[in-house]
Amino acid sequence: MPLTILLPMVVLGIAGITLLLHLLGMSRPKLLRDGAEARAAWLDEFPKDAPLRVVVSHDHRAALIETALGKGVVWPMGADTTARYLDGAEVVRTHKGVRIDLPDYTAPRINLTLDAEEVALWPSLLEERA
Amino acid sequence: MSYPEVTQLAVPFFIAAILIELAWIVIKGKGGRYETRDAVTSLIMGAGNVASGIALGFVAYGFFMVLWAITPLDLGASIWVVALCFVLDDLRYYWVHRFGHRIRWVWASHVNHHSSQHYNLTTALRQTWTGTFTFMMIVRAPLILLGFHPGMVLFCGGLNLIYQFWIHTEAIGKMPKWFETVMNTPSHHRVHHGRNARYLDANYAGVFIIWDKLFGTYVPELQEEKPDYGLVHNLGTFNPIRVAFHEWVGIFQDATQPGLNWQERLKYCVMPPGWSHDGSRETSAAIKRRHLQEHPEDVGTPGF
Repeated sequence: MPLTILLPMVVLGIAGITLLLHLLGMSRPKLLRDGAEARAAWLDEFPKDAPLRVVVSHDHRAALIETALGKGVVWPMGADTTARYLDGAEVVRTHKGVRIDLPDYTAPRINLTLDAEEVALWPSLLEERA
Repeated sequence: MSYPEVTQLAVPFFIAAILIELAWIVIKGKGGRYETRDAVTSLIMGAGNVASGIALGFVAYGFFMVLWAITPLDLGASIWVVALCFVLDDLRYYWVHRFGHRIRWVWASHVNHHSSQHYNLTTALRQTWTGTFTFMMIVRAPLILLGFHPGMVLFCGGLNLIYQFWIHTEAIGKMPKWFETVMNTPSHHRVHHGRNARYLDANYAGVFIIWDKLFGTYVPELQEEKPDYGLVHNLGTFNPIRVAFHEWVGIFQDATQPGLNWQERLKYCVMPPGWSHDGSRETSAAIKRRHLQEHPEDVGTPGF
């Protein structure tokens, strides 16, 4: 197939499907309703590392997890979740909350939106053993 | 004789089928899930796969043409030869796919296809950009040397991939029993995409599920255990560059870490995904063993 046909078809196809999905409301990120859901999401990634403490953010879009091995975060990946330990992480305060830079090519950055109370608390919690 | 670039010609069909599946899910309220960034990443991976084929396809094709020049055999281009080529190329696909899950060097290319936590028709298009670097074109060498023209072999490979497109859906439950017995189906392939301990390293088939039954890797989809899609450790990014190259980066980081001998460095490249020199990670076999320790009642059930 000539590139003059293939390229526009692919570009328009991707753009059209993207727009359609967004208009259908399929861009909404996963919300962690409570500690139990955050705990389950953590165990999806680290089934051997049971959480000892779970702190869900006010917007339900992240949870701080503490296990016997250290601290980690669960956060939405689109309509689903993923999780990482914070070994080697750098925690940077932003105007919306906190940005966590991880030495992990598969999850280089986590942006957390935190309220005033959380901004005061979370960085110290994250940095305790991060 | 020339053969059409069937995967490129199928692009309009792919787009139409995605729209139909999406409409079905929205109207019926069942049959799968879509998420914008996940789908966009999959579609970009598909476009990149076509682009890498255009840019690097000459490597495999050149290799095949060298073999074609060497071989004294030429089976011609009758419909029966094409049909035989299709079946044998599907056997080739089974083994390349199995290597793709059992050899980390090949997994580094294939992993991105499994990196979505969704299972819909866009997932089918989440294809590799780095297949050339796995050198798996060598598995096709016997077909060329047996007298199947390289153009025919690539044509059959394209048809194989197009067949596999429609099985990436939750909108279809089970096909008729005779079809499920012989052919790869949405049900069989959902198992392949499952990260459940039961479903790891199962159902490598492309078109004919009989290869899995023949070589002992077949696991049926159990009604009581829905596949949980994605990787054992799911990605934390939708960036297509990171999706495409993350396992190659992982191999490099693992194999170049200080304090290893050369055997260990090599093993980080070729052992099954999850292998580590100090046993700190889990392979799929270890995950299955751990599952059975926690759930001894599953011993002897499908997948264990």
